[in-house]
Amino acid sequence: MTHNNELSRRKFLTRMWAAGGGLMAAAGAWTGWDLLRPSAASSLTAQVKTLPPQAVPATGVVEIKAARGYLTREGDQVIALSWKCPHLGCRVPWCESSQEFECPCHGSVFNRLGEYRAGPSPRNMDRLATTVVDGSLVIDPGNVTPGGPLGPETIDEPPAGPRCIGEGH
Amino acid sequence: MTIGKRFRASTLGRSVIRNPNRVTTRDRAAGHWSNFFLHIYPVKIRRKEIYFRYSWFLGVASLALFGSLVVSGIYLMFFYVPSPTTAYGNIQFIQTQVPFGQYIRNVHRWSAHFMVLAVAAHMARVFYRGAYKSPREFNWVIGVVLLVLTLLLSFTGYLLPWDQLAYWAVTVGTSMAAYVPIIGEQVSNVLIGGQEVGSATLIRFYVLHVALLPTVGVVVIALHLWRWRKDSMLDTEHDQQEAM
Amino acid sequence: MAEEPLVVEGKRVLGVVPGVPPVGDRKIPDEQESVMVWPHLLVRHAVAALAVLLLVLIVAIFFDAPLREIANPAVTPNPEKAPWYFAGLQELLSHYHPLVAGILVPGTVVLGAMALPYLDRNPDRHGRTRRVAVATFTIFLVAWIILTIIGFAFRGPDWGWVWPWNAWYGEL
Repeated sequence: MTHNNELSRRKFLTRMWAAGGGLMAAAGAWTGWDLLRPSAASSLTAQVKTLPPQAVPATGVVEIKAARGYLTREGDQVIALSWKCPHLGCRVPWCESSQEFECPCHGSVFNRLGEYRAGPSPRNMDRLATTVVDGSLVIDPGNVTPGGPLGPETIDEPPAGPRCIGEGH
Repeated sequence: MTIGKRFRASTLGRSVIRNPNRVTTRDRAAGHWSNFFLHIYPVKIRRKEIYFRYSWFLGVASLALFGSLVVSGIYLMFFYVPSPTTAYGNIQFIQTQVPFGQYIRNVHRWSAHFMVLAVAAHMARVFYRGAYKSPREFNWVIGVVLLVLTLLLSFTGYLLPWDQLAYWAVTVGTSMAAYVPIIGEQVSNVLIGGQEVGSATLIRFYVLHVALLPTVGVVVIALHLWRWRKDSMLDTEHDQQEAM
Repeated sequence: MAEEPLVVEGKRVLGVVPGVPPVGDRKIPDEQESVMVWPHLLVRHAVAALAVLLLVLIVAIFFDAPLREIANPAVTPNPEKAPWYFAGLQELLSHYHPLVAGILVPGTVVLGAMALPYLDRNPDRHGRTRRVAVATFTIFLVAWIILTIIGFAFRGPDWGWVWPWNAWYGEL
């Protein structure tokens, strides 16, 4: 007789109880986690109406505080950049003297189109979705596209002057 | 007869304190066993372990600071509403209008700083004594968990004043979590509760800080002390060789 | 009520004979001997706890907890400082990719600390055979303390180097 290999009634029931308990714990954990996941309603939903596309200058950027971002011109297009640094979420200010984005927290630097130039950031600056309504640009701050991977810059705009943040990063 | 002795001799007193005469060693042991609060302690301990030079009393210092944090924290909770529109004003109110409010907030803050120091120093002291070795390995693991809990408690509390210091430290801290492979983005989202640090983050950190983490902390501390008590009279041959 | 019993070292005695014990009057306690927790350890713990609380209560009189301006998502303070116990982490973050400095290093340190008693199987608690363990732990501890002090006191605007006696940016 191979009694030891057989699943006894007692062993079977023990396993069923254990499996039931485990299932309940897993269901509880998943429910709790799902409960805490932010709903779509908690993202920034208010559309921000800004200026007409042709009002965005070819140099420099336009800060849109309500949308937490900047408008900047890429050829004929106008793009909206999120001011949240892709590195660790600090606000990236525009530096007038050097004409680039410079993050004071950890020293990430981006050009006018939010393309990576220096520092610890793992990608380009994130972009916000824009539409044109009645001739005005409307930014949707809840619709964020992560910036592209690091690569060569597509515009030739070297730092125009001294940087706002200290060197040495 | 003093009032205390008279109370102990009364029917009521004897029902409360079962072993009133703590005179002989036997009485004390019996009294020790029948006391709920003393049950976290062993009844007897090796003489060398009672001195400052053995432990520097860092464990008991951590526990005392935890107690101070619970007391001062409950006091602060009476005056604090965790919402971005009220939190900062509440802290200002505590500091300027509530009697001793600023002082209690200072006590809470300093207890937290000292607790991080005390727990870290306790860990180092236990390491250099070799007190994590068999059979106490698992209590060391529990101790590391307690260190992490202490840091989490400190960090969740850091957001509550809702000032610039708090806001940006937590923005950076939660952004860091997003770098964990696979689950990072989800963890970061659940911590923040939205796109950026805001009212959802504040209530989440508040619940973690005043309910979830302290409860887990008390349970894990109890486990830690219970194992310390169980292991307190264990000895290994290597202890015998000690020159200390 | 009967007369209070005479107690010496936790034992009732019938009487005490004056004189000097034959081995001298100073007793050298045996370190391995077990003693009652009540009162020997409890008294010391109570004093230690009171001393720590007294320290906190005194420090809290003289140093106020900081409260900066109200949170403003549009302005990142410069420098942006983490709480002091994460200053070492922040210093690491300024040098390495966040996956390394923010996740791998602290994760390895915590998991390594948990695994320590299972990695270090040397039963010796003192002495020379522990050199490797002691050296490893000490290197980590000292490195962490140095990083924390640098991040806490030696970093200023743009996370640049400052001397704390020239400009103070530490936040508690």
